[in-house]
Amino acid sequence: MTPTKSCGIALLAILFASACAGPKPAQHGWNAPYPEMTAALRLQGDAARGEAAFVICQGCHRVGALGRVDGSYPRLAGQHATVLIKQLVDVRSGRRSNPKMLPFADHLALTTQEVADIAAYLERLPVPSDNGRGPGEQLDHGAKLYAADCATCHGQNGEGVADRYFPRLAGQHYRYLLREGRMIRDGTRRNANPDMVNAIRNYSDEDIDRVSDYVSRLPVAPAR
Amino acid sequence: MLALWACLPFPATGAEDTVAKVCAACHGSDGNSTDPTVPKLAGMDQEYLLRQLKGFASGQRRNEIMAGIVANLDSGEFATLAAWYGKQKPTPGKVVDAKLAEAGRRIYEDGNTDSGVPACAGCHQPDGGGNARFPRLAGQHQTYLLKQLGDYKSGRRATDRLMVTVGQRLTVDEMKALAEYIAGL
Repeated sequence: MTPTKSCGIALLAILFASACAGPKPAQHGWNAPYPEMTAALRLQGDAARGEAAFVICQGCHRVGALGRVDGSYPRLAGQHATVLIKQLVDVRSGRRSNPKMLPFADHLALTTQEVADIAAYLERLPVPSDNGRGPGEQLDHGAKLYAADCATCHGQNGEGVADRYFPRLAGQHYRYLLREGRMIRDGTRRNANPDMVNAIRNYSDEDIDRVSDYVSRLPVAPAR
Repeated sequence: MLALWACLPFPATGAEDTVAKVCAACHGSDGNSTDPTVPKLAGMDQEYLLRQLKGFASGQRRNEIMAGIVANLDSGEFATLAAWYGKQKPTPGKVVDAKLAEAGRRIYEDGNTDSGVPACAGCHQPDGGGNARFPRLAGQHQTYLLKQLGDYKSGRRATDRLMVTVGQRLTVDEMKALAEYIAGL
């Protein structure tokens, strides 16, 4: 097990324990570990095996996991392995609504080991700066919203926090950010962090558009 | 020693007799059938072919004709037959409608993002060459391809759950276009 993963699991255990003891357990249930998530996180992912297993994903997420500029499928390249594992098992366990992906994330399609392998493969992939961008209007408004409501968790440069399941945002396609932002605000994605739902609860469609545009222009980090 | 033997590729010799007496009438003497309802087997991955033979025998893949034929074969011969067909040289298919094939190319390479059809190229490879898990498609007969896609859509063929999903998401027009494009690969 990698030190990162050990830390993640230790942190999870602490979070889980405090969630059980704390006054508002439901508020922090979004990342409470469940057996399949814990199992996938504990496995040592193998990037070479992950590359082979990824073929069933690349029909949609494309070669190199670059996603599509139209946002129909997100870029997965360079995303934190913890985030990828959580989102994939959330989809297949029904915690995250994603009917298009569900059959391809099923146990019949991918074993738990393959989930860990794919995450290990994707995390190391380079993130080119050719992601889909927004129209570039009122970027200062987007920047202001990002600094006020997003940067605390997702980081100044959209780098995310692996151990807390906060996704990396830099290099993601604008249209995907836009769609997921609305789904998270409206509760239709279902597995969102309640802190994020609260943070953007009062965002207009326009606000989500501006902040997504701003995020789509964050500089991408060099490959791991 | 036994383990070493088990690691060796399936032997391709010894299948000729069964091929000539049983299989060739429909699948052709070299595994390139001329009947468009019967699949070309030449050049397909031997593991894939072996899985299909076992599927016909167990009934997991429903096909009355093949069920009857494999029932009269020694199942110990399946691997030899699969290896023999895998080593044959596939012949190219024939595109009759270039415009339809072009529409098929777009689905094959890009999928349909609205309905969630993945690009076929993702699993079956851009050249349709396939592998052990996902079969070779290149040059296959349009009629056979259409029948299989239709069977996935209806659930009659359920050998691969992912393909059942893909079949359900594909329209009949998209299937026709894909079959036309794949025949030309």
